[in-house]
Amino acid sequence: MRALEPWVVQPLENFLAESAARLTLLMTSSGQVVAQHGFSRSLDVMTAAALGAGIVASTEELARLMGGARFEALVHNGQRQSCMLGAFATPRGRWIGLVVFGPETSVGIVRLFFDQLVQQLAAAAPREPTPAPPMLAENFETELNASLKALFGR
Amino acid sequence: MTDDIRALTARLADEPGSLAFLELAEALRRRGQTDAAYKVARGGLARYPGLADAHDLLARVLSDQGELAGAFDAWSSALQLDPMRTSALKGIAFLYFRAGDKAAALEHLQRALEVDPDDLSIRQAVVRIGSEARPHPPATAPSGDPPPPAPVARGLEAEPVSPRTSPIFGGLEGGDGGLLLVDANGLRLGGRLETPEGHDAGDRVAAQLAGVSREAARATRLLGLGSWHAIAIESPDGHLVLAQPTPETVLLAAREPSLPMGGVTLLAERAARAARLWLETS
Amino acid sequence: MTPATQAALDRVTRVAGVRGALVVAASDGLVVAEQLMDGVDGQAAAALTGSLVGRLARTAESAGMRPPAFLHLRGDAGGVLAAPGPDDLVLVAVVGPDANLGLARLEMIEAAGRLG
Repeated sequence: MRALEPWVVQPLENFLAESAARLTLLMTSSGQVVAQHGFSRSLDVMTAAALGAGIVASTEELARLMGGARFEALVHNGQRQSCMLGAFATPRGRWIGLVVFGPETSVGIVRLFFDQLVQQLAAAAPREPTPAPPMLAENFETELNASLKALFGR
Repeated sequence: MTDDIRALTARLADEPGSLAFLELAEALRRRGQTDAAYKVARGGLARYPGLADAHDLLARVLSDQGELAGAFDAWSSALQLDPMRTSALKGIAFLYFRAGDKAAALEHLQRALEVDPDDLSIRQAVVRIGSEARPHPPATAPSGDPPPPAPVARGLEAEPVSPRTSPIFGGLEGGDGGLLLVDANGLRLGGRLETPEGHDAGDRVAAQLAGVSREAARATRLLGLGSWHAIAIESPDGHLVLAQPTPETVLLAAREPSLPMGGVTLLAERAARAARLWLETS
Repeated sequence: MTPATQAALDRVTRVAGVRGALVVAASDGLVVAEQLMDGVDGQAAAALTGSLVGRLARTAESAGMRPPAFLHLRGDAGGVLAAPGPDDLVLVAVVGPDANLGLARLEMIEAAGRLG
């Protein structure tokens, strides 16, 4: 498990221990990865983050069109493994969690401890976030590479 | 009521938390007032659950009342707290002797003699029983650690110790059949379990039990139910009870459906105590 | 909620000491229907009990036994009872320490058979 910000580590470790999730990705609503567990390739992380953020954005738009509140979570049940996407508010803005799990656990367990993860992240987030420097195009690739290095421990 | 009992009763009434209950219960027991002695001993034990003297006292009272299985448990508890307690070793030896297991009786008397070689009564008992005891393999124990007393079933119809009997559950009703001790990783520590068709299922069942203690603890904690004690499972083919001898182990007791669940639960509790003792002293 | 489900919950919650009852989809650990007193977390009860029931059913199976008809998890301050029914549904009750367990068990076994 790797995280860009240290305060995310403990809540995420707790979630992984209880949920038995196989893969977990935490990202901002724009798809910027905050933490990951279980992925072995940076390309997979980037792809999953982009797709996950896109799915959540589409679904939120759909809910808006239907005139209802935002969906709390999306679950896709597969034969061998399933996937849950959940968007939630944090002091650092809106984040998305992508969780892949197998039959050794259940969607009920994953959701139960995902809710706990959300609460623990809210409690652990530093009070005064460090303001991010403005993102310039020439910095973007450097920032991305640095993030990927941190997420994969290289 | 005699003067000493009156005085001790008054003292205990004035100071309910004092240790006067030890003297009072013993005095009542010596006068044959075992019911009153039991109440006093129980009350004192509730206040001082970690006091070996209190467990020893209760065991003597229960032994006088003929509650030999309860006496065994109480002396076992005293030994857990104080492994060198000769009175408990002698008490358990007495119970084994009453049950006809002279070999186990001798083993416990010899341990008592190692602790107190000057106790003449122990020497005499060893000599007497030693001449009658059947051949018995010497207990192997790490130096400095007394081997645990083998638990005895209610009714004390102890089976002779045989090489096939598990050291953990030997002496319990049915031996170690239908009893399984499993560690947190799903590995069998002792006992055996067979399917209704007679196939060995111990290792397979043990593997399924990996993590069950943690999961049960999580469930009771998150639902505000405290710590978990037991899980009872009723199947048309049998009753299973899971208990927790230590935080790192799980005990499973399995019996046919003809035995009521209450009986299986009791068996599981006794087996868990035996397992705990074995884990602490092995 | 089907009439059978409602009837099952009513029967169980009438028993003394029962703090709540729910019907759970065991494999998913999700609530199908519930009738709970304040303070009982239905989502947690469903997820945790569903998971435990599955594990214990596999334990019984590995011991060569048919699936359990009733389960009781006993804690310091109460317990959880579970009676599996058809179609992966489980009737679950959260009980206090002084609940009438015998009656709850009988009601649950009978009601669970009529779920679905």
